Amino acid sequence: MSRAFLILLAPFAVLGTALAHHSPVMFDQSQPVTLTGTVREFQWTNPHSYIQLVVKNAHGQDEEWNVEMAAPTYLYNLGWRPGTLKSGDAVIVTVAPLKKGGNGGLLLKATTADGKPIGRTPSVAPGATP
Amino acid sequence: MMRGAVFSAALVSCACTQQAPPGNSRVDNPRVEQFARLPNWSGIWLAEGLEPGVDGFSMSRPPAFLVQAPGIPWNESTVARLQAELATNPELQVKPAAGWGYPLMMDGAPPLQFVITPEETLIFNTYRDLRHIYTDGRAHPPEGDLWATTWGDSVGHWDGDTLVIDTVAVREPNKYFGVSAWLSDQAHYTERLRMVAPDRIEGEMTVVDPATLSRDWVVKLNYKRADGFDRLIHDAYDNDRTGFDGDFYTIKPPSAEPAAAP
Repeated sequence: MSRAFLILLAPFAVLGTALAHHSPVMFDQSQPVTLTGTVREFQWTNPHSYIQLVVKNAHGQDEEWNVEMAAPTYLYNLGWRPGTLKSGDAVIVTVAPLKKGGNGGLLLKATTADGKPIGRTPSVAPGATP
Repeated sequence: MMRGAVFSAALVSCACTQQAPPGNSRVDNPRVEQFARLPNWSGIWLAEGLEPGVDGFSMSRPPAFLVQAPGIPWNESTVARLQAELATNPELQVKPAAGWGYPLMMDGAPPLQFVITPEETLIFNTYRDLRHIYTDGRAHPPEGDLWATTWGDSVGHWDGDTLVIDTVAVREPNKYFGVSAWLSDQAHYTERLRMVAPDRIEGEMTVVDPATLSRDWVVKLNYKRADGFDRLIHDAYDNDRTGFDGDFYTIKPPSAEPAAAP
């Protein structure tokens, strides 16, 4: 194996599991944020679904977060449906926030206000680490 | 009344005397026999290990045909080109794509469906990446009639219950979806796919592309029957809120109009 190829593999390994219609590098996966809020709108849309989540900030003011999710086809496979979330629902979400800052992030986990998971987690390939 | 009775009698007469066209009964119809000889791969299939999480990105393993996937035997010139790209675009941010393209669709997150007929097998996914695998004995079009496309030109045949596919004229995959392998238009792809159990299809793809690879590249393809889907759902890209601020992709705020139900 050439030296050039060895050098090349390093960045590849970091990026290995990421793929959708755009790159996930816009999100900071190393600094997840947990938000408790109220759903204003659930967008069941392509190429991504979104939760418009109203969250109280540190000053007690309402802020709206743009929470990006997978496309409906992937969510459907995980048990989500268009009516899974409705306006006014209270939820707790964990997101990978936007690297550039602002009230946006990528959904990593969602539960109801009393902690029940929403949807299921995907099955794991034999030999893979979840 | 009398006219109605005559008309009814005529209908009964037609029904009694009408013969099925030759070859249309299940017993002697050669087309029924052709279908009966083919495997049944109906249902919806997921590439093993590539079932994404709620984020749409996380999977158990990288898709094999991702440019940054480990183990691709790139030749030295391709390595040099990739290094140059990484020097200016270290996180390999790419433009959005409306689908996955070939060969990425064969080892990707979107669920697949196989529709098998005597003349061709259709392989498609939820993003309408569509392949026609002609199994009627035809060859690829002559060179002058062939041009590279995102999904290429495929012909195939059945080797017992194994579908053997030969694909050429695939436009450089990364030109459609920038994270795809940097293969050339001259790449030659051979696939062998077989249902090994009611809920499992296995096979492999061999990619020959001296322009970008140092040797033949063999990729295992494993599919499991999807248990979370009862249909393949297609939808338009009508709410792309991905923005770009010059440095990073961002999320644009929602439009004033509701994006969709609910």
